[in-house]
Amino acid sequence: MAELIQILVSGLAAGSIYALAAVGFTLLWQASQTINFAQGEFVMLPAFFVLIGMTVLGLPMWTSILLALVLSLLILGVAFKRLIVEPMLPHGTLPLVIATIALGLLLKESVKEFYGATAQPFPAIFPQTVYNVAGASVSVQDICNLVVSMLAIGGLQLFLNRTRTGRCMQASAQNPAVAEILGVNVKRMVLYTFLINAALATIASVLISPIYLAKFSNGETLGLVAFIAAIVGGFNQIRGALVGGLLIGVIDNLSAVYISAQYRAAMPLLLLIAIILLRPQGLLGTPEGRTV
Amino acid sequence: MNMRADNTNAPILSVHNISKQFGGIRAVNGVSFDVRKGEILGLIGPNGSGKSTLFNCILGQLKPTEGHCEINGRSTDGVRPADLSLMGVGRTFQQLSVFPKMSVLDNVILAGQEHQGSMLSRLLGKPDAGLTGKAEQLIEFFRLTPYRDTPAGSLSYGQQKLVDAAMAFMAGPGIVLLDEPAGGVNLTMLGHLKERLVTYNREHGTTFVVIEHNMEFVMSLCTRIIVLAQGEIIAEGTPDEIRSNQMVIDAYLGG
Repeated sequence: MAELIQILVSGLAAGSIYALAAVGFTLLWQASQTINFAQGEFVMLPAFFVLIGMTVLGLPMWTSILLALVLSLLILGVAFKRLIVEPMLPHGTLPLVIATIALGLLLKESVKEFYGATAQPFPAIFPQTVYNVAGASVSVQDICNLVVSMLAIGGLQLFLNRTRTGRCMQASAQNPAVAEILGVNVKRMVLYTFLINAALATIASVLISPIYLAKFSNGETLGLVAFIAAIVGGFNQIRGALVGGLLIGVIDNLSAVYISAQYRAAMPLLLLIAIILLRPQGLLGTPEGRTV
Repeated sequence: MNMRADNTNAPILSVHNISKQFGGIRAVNGVSFDVRKGEILGLIGPNGSGKSTLFNCILGQLKPTEGHCEINGRSTDGVRPADLSLMGVGRTFQQLSVFPKMSVLDNVILAGQEHQGSMLSRLLGKPDAGLTGKAEQLIEFFRLTPYRDTPAGSLSYGQQKLVDAAMAFMAGPGIVLLDEPAGGVNLTMLGHLKERLVTYNREHGTTFVVIEHNMEFVMSLCTRIIVLAQGEIIAEGTPDEIRSNQMVIDAYLGG
């Protein structure tokens, strides 16, 4: 029982970080039909911005994190939209998908080339203390990661549902032509989506890097897991991406302990296959007809 | 009986000698008419008669080759679609215009220009900019209250048309342009829609311009009808006059 609690907590903590990336995935899809296969690299990169701030510029950790956030908003938000999505989108979804795959490779190889191929230690934001709760070792870091991720996603949901800007973003995603006619600045709403995705990626990066270290290739697994989480939960629902992320985090940790550590990476893929066969719209998603 | 024939005012909509040329085809040719406050004007004509082109010229979405339109004395030439609703012009669409995953209430609120105002008020101000009350009245008026919190996309087609109409009235318009409101709507719902439009017109004096294929619907709804054929006005008058007009009969029967 104690072991199970331990696994569940660390599974949920990891899953909540996957969920951040997955939520970004679904947001971009809804707002601009962008399937971002560079999403994993989007989570990998901000950690290196933080490291550059700390080691190259000699800034304190929190200033470096702020710097990373600003750089991510500019590069992964504004520049990504302006330089890749806007020129490619008129050519259809598939060319854009291929462009994002290329972008992922570019980001990955650039970090390897300019920063280094070895895993870099990343400063811990939260205390590394481990408490014993009912016989289970529960780390403060896990709990904090879970809380921060949930706050970020909860805050995003509140923003989208309770503010006028948020509702205009939803309207722009659901029926851009009519939103435009009603006077909503659709282009700006789409930009907000890209900025939110960049911010979520930065949060995920800062939370996950102390655990897995900062490495150029981190995006490979992260991107795949976020993609699977989005599909499992339902590609067109934020709460679907949340559930998908948490589920994969828990399944991953459970299977590492109870099935086989060697095959843990296969479990999310098996889940993906099962979902595609049995419930293609995802656990919480709604069927969607779209011509691509 | 009602305010429909209030003829003391200046026209709310004036169409001045509008022509629209697409390459070698003259879709609309020198059309002029006025619409006065409180009127329900029907704009009918066979397929290809230039109705939709004229409609889009009035709304400023197509630039006429010649002529211009004025709404409340203000030219619609070059007006952005979003500004039309600020000018008190509501419109419905031939295709459905709802936001499918948002509730009926949120749809109607959104149509009330809740996105206006400063960035700060949009982020921190009341989530609905104080529009919920008005939206609920319109939802009640169109008898959609049971579906207030239902995602608009899960309603029937006819019900979505009613949501569409409620949205068009939300900006508090003096004039509403309805683009084929009867298209694809079943008979019961159509009767309901017509009854609601007439009631709204009587209670609020709102002016309607209706483009429509469904002759029965137009004849029973409108106070005046303009018939277009091949881009020109071939007849104008009350429903009874139009019904018995030989040119109209010929145009529709291809005679």
